[in-house]
Amino acid sequence: MDKSVELILEYARELTKQNVVGKGDCISVKSGEYMYASDKEVALDALTEKDVLKIKLEEAEGEYALHAALYTQKEDVLAVCHCHPKWVKPIADCEVDIPAVTDDMTQIVGRNCKTSKNDIDSIVFNLAHRNSTLIKGDGCVTTGRTLNEAYTCVLVLDKAAHCFVASAVLKKNVLISDFEAILMNTIYKMKYSKKNQENLQNEEGNK
Amino acid sequence: MWDKNTEQELRQLVKDTGVQLLEENLVQGTWGNISVRLDEDHMLVSPTGLDYNHLEPEDMPIVQISDPSVWSDGKKPTSERKIHAAVLASRPEINACIHSHPVFATAMASCHMPLPAFSDELKEVMNGDVIVGSYGLPGTKKLKEGTVEAMKGRNACFMANHGVFCVGETMEEAFNVLRVLEKNVYEYIKMQTLEKTGAKEYSDELLFKVFTIKANKFLKKSN
Repeated sequence: MDKSVELILEYARELTKQNVVGKGDCISVKSGEYMYASDKEVALDALTEKDVLKIKLEEAEGEYALHAALYTQKEDVLAVCHCHPKWVKPIADCEVDIPAVTDDMTQIVGRNCKTSKNDIDSIVFNLAHRNSTLIKGDGCVTTGRTLNEAYTCVLVLDKAAHCFVASAVLKKNVLISDFEAILMNTIYKMKYSKKNQENLQNEEGNK
Repeated sequence: MWDKNTEQELRQLVKDTGVQLLEENLVQGTWGNISVRLDEDHMLVSPTGLDYNHLEPEDMPIVQISDPSVWSDGKKPTSERKIHAAVLASRPEINACIHSHPVFATAMASCHMPLPAFSDELKEVMNGDVIVGSYGLPGTKKLKEGTVEAMKGRNACFMANHGVFCVGETMEEAFNVLRVLEKNVYEYIKMQTLEKTGAKEYSDELLFKVFTIKANKFLKKSN
């Protein structure tokens, strides 16, 4: 089995295990002028080898055109997860942004996570300096230098969303300052995760 | 000084505790860290940035409690080892610490909100209300001092915008503190949701409704 296909199947299982999947999920990895993507009509928990599609980036349509746009417009993007985690949904539906509520979110996602309109231009725009965005009425999209990184973003985002939603019955979230959030995000990207991502890129074979 | 057999057992204990944290969804990925006391001035800690499932017992480094920059054996220790060292140094009766990011407790931590000891279980296990340590960037003196202060006389505290810190005389006890804390925060959120809505039965959808009302009223304007 092709390594990229194996990867897609592995992370489809992991996302299912973490309970952050929903209808219309689609995950992909870039491979030169192509991408390997899960068939968006097939639930990730039911995905098999035959449901992983090899698509030429310039010929991608529909859901896959979004993935292709991210691969062609952002050089450092080598993997994409479009998922529908439970706690993200009410926030995306209301079209509000997730502010800097937790350290791990600011490190891995950034100082906030914007909600995009449900069109490719808006999503690509909001991912220009970030690796995650919510989509109005349609879950979230995360990107990574590896599929592991994009997968981790989904988990962190769902947890931050959980904290943000739960605060509706607690007190208001006390937000991390912009300065501290940007500092943490920069340190994470430049130092903490760099070596780890290089190792993972070698393992995933998509460097 | 400790004997090699004890050290080996404790190495395995740190590994097993990490796996258990993942299995009970009390931590995600490579986050959180664990320590166990070897003697008055030494502890075993989990290494930095590694998945507990892929850790081997020999990966755990030995760190000096009086100077946590000094370590040997194993892989590079967690950057939060200074907090573990400071708590173990200030609490001789404590032998095990767990720092984790369970979702419900982290929600409280993100609101800088203490948890009142509203149940007998909390009173018994926590030694009073669970309070919030002052915010500090990960790995900083500020975070360490805030955590140590909030842990005084208690078995757990929230770390602002970050997670929780739990301790025990044994690892089993520290794990139980963490489990009880997360369970009771969930109960507290359920209670608050029912109180705010007047509903008789809790569901996550009910919480979503409260959030949606708040979001439509206040949050959209600020975006």
